[in-house]
Amino acid sequence: MIKITVKLIGPLINLAGFSEKTLEFPAETTVEEVLAALPIDPQRPKIVTRNGQAVAPGEKLKDGDRLAISPIYSGG
Amino acid sequence: MKGWTGHILRIDLTTRTHKIETFGEEFAHKWVGGRGFALKVLWDELRPGIDPLGPENKLIIAVGPIAGVPAPNTGKTVVAAKSPLTGGFGDGNLGTRATEHLRKAGYDAIIFEGQSDKPIYIYIEDDKVQYFPAEDIWGKGTYDTHDYLYKIYGKGVGVLSIGQGGENLNRYAMIRSLEGRAGGRPGIGAVMGSKKLKAIVIKGSKPIPVADPEGMRKLGIEDLRKVGEINKQTGWSIQSTTGVLSWCNEVAALPVHNMRQTHHPDAWKIDGERLNNARIATYGCPNCTMRCGIAIRDHEGHESELDYENIGTLGSNLDIFELDQVGSLNYLCDDYGLDTISAGDTLAFYADAIEQGAIKGDFRFGDAEMAKKLLGMAARRQGEIGNLLADGTMRMSRAIGHGSEAYAMHVKGLEISAYNCKFCPGMALAFATCPLGGHHKDSWVITFEIKQTKRDSYGPEKAAKVIELQRIRGGLFEFIVACRFPWIELGWPLDHYPEYFNRVTGLNWSLDDFWKISDRIYALMKFFWVREFPDWDRTRDYPPMIWFDPSNADKDGPIAGQVLELDKFNQLLDHYYNQRGWDQRGIPTRKTAEALDLKDEMAEVEKYTKLE
Ligand code: SF4
Repeated sequence: MIKITVKLIGPLINLAGFSEKTLEFPAETTVEEVLAALPIDPQRPKIVTRNGQAVAPGEKLKDGDRLAISPIYSGG
Repeated sequence: MKGWTGHILRIDLTTRTHKIETFGEEFAHKWVGGRGFALKVLWDELRPGIDPLGPENKLIIAVGPIAGVPAPNTGKTVVAAKSPLTGGFGDGNLGTRATEHLRKAGYDAIIFEGQSDKPIYIYIEDDKVQYFPAEDIWGKGTYDTHDYLYKIYGKGVGVLSIGQGGENLNRYAMIRSLEGRAGGRPGIGAVMGSKKLKAIVIKGSKPIPVADPEGMRKLGIEDLRKVGEINKQTGWSIQSTTGVLSWCNEVAALPVHNMRQTHHPDAWKIDGERLNNARIATYGCPNCTMRCGIAIRDHEGHESELDYENIGTLGSNLDIFELDQVGSLNYLCDDYGLDTISAGDTLAFYADAIEQGAIKGDFRFGDAEMAKKLLGMAARRQGEIGNLLADGTMRMSRAIGHGSEAYAMHVKGLEISAYNCKFCPGMALAFATCPLGGHHKDSWVITFEIKQTKRDSYGPEKAAKVIELQRIRGGLFEFIVACRFPWIELGWPLDHYPEYFNRVTGLNWSLDDFWKISDRIYALMKFFWVREFPDWDRTRDYPPMIWFDPSNADKDGPIAGQVLELDKFNQLLDHYYNQRGWDQRGIPTRKTAEALDLKDEMAEVEKYTKLE
């Protein structure tokens, strides 16, 4: 198992019921699989970063990774 | 002509006289309204080199064809003048009931010229214009000023006012309207103050000229409902714009410590979640069903309405991570009528300059109480420090010297909004090419940059996206005049806007027609700058040099060791200029200007510099 810290941003917090949590997943879990485990509409446009860098859905995660999931913002 | 009233109200504050002027289809179709109208009037009527705070400058209030019409987020008005902060073109928009009243009073714009000898406020009701002494409210903040005027005229009128900042010619003073927000970052409130005009009250009773009134009303009301529904479904206004703080902190783009740092472990203390939890009220502009203003109780107990830029520049950039204290700084800026972005950046620069030993002083990062005192001094120009702060970052750095220009965080004199571009080339380009200076308003490319491109790319795709966004955000939304948030935050399709426009005007325009107008306006805004600064070269489009300084690179986090590179940034600027049809100095070429129907304007600018 690997530990992934999931950080949610904006209204995604209200959908999932938490803003930051460390979750356990099997080794080699992909970004997509983490997203699928969350109660967030997969169709909803979002930006996902891994340790602050953009990440592709199929990328495999490593133990200790931080995944930030945000709606698309366009500025104040 | 439907869609426009065809009237501009011209008010001479020196003689306290006014006249109603008319304009025809040619002007309306070429410049549309809002930013387009304001720019063209300022271009035609201002002599280059005039003192922006003297009687020769003009203050323009302008709306667009769909402004005030019931449809998504049409409560905005543009305010503009030659900027006392930058010396170039300056404008901004704000949500206000004045929008609808101005149109119902029968005008698409007001031009204020001259200078009153005593403080006054103006009451406009349809064709009637009255001038009243403003001694009772001169020296008061915007909250008291609005209350005073609402007591006289009732709460339903539109009020635009300045606070002590505008009165005392603080160069980043704004115009405020309590029914919405504040607008005019590049010191448009100072221009109003220089004219001794404390407030404008507007009441209109005529119908707005709409080609298809019944169709527009039905469509507009239905779309307002739909936008409200999408907002509810997506939950956007739970945190509104303030969710951006956490995101910027994650991707190392948060302004911290005068933008020397890009993320901070305490950022969560002032984030959108905390803000929403502390919410005591919600505010919005007229004709809006996504009301984005989150009000909290500040440290002194006032209600303070915050958005992302406020918490970024008055919070993290000053290392202040107590939400109620950020609320206090924001409340003071609103009451004094100061731009929160420039105020926050100016204080951050001051703290930084002290820390670097460039100037002596007691202010330290994180000191909220001292920051409050300094804001008061800046708003009133009290003492040497108050005067220094009131002039903004660019002038301060020139006065202080000792290399402080490198970390004076502005572009063209306008302080940079709350995105730290130490390693965001595309967003740095957006600031660099914004026609006002360091503003995020025209192009917010950072999410595209992080999500859809390689962050370290300086390629043409970033320049193309900046231009695309400028056409929409700085063009379309600023000349038809509507808030951009339904489109950018809720994905409300852009196609709706030509539909509203056509129903209002009876025309049959497509988005492509709008893009040409956007490009025309961008070219003329650049000509405006060039006419003021005829030795124009691309270095005026550069962001602050500290973003290129390897010794300023982050020590840890997602962009550790990385900063912008100047030679590559120049390539990115080349892409931008080439795609726009501008020369290597960043000036539209003759061919480009001709294609945009700017022949007369080209002849005028060629009196000052040769076009390629
Ligand atoms: S979204 Fe916010 S800024 Fe835009 S019109 Fe609504 S309240 Fe005003």
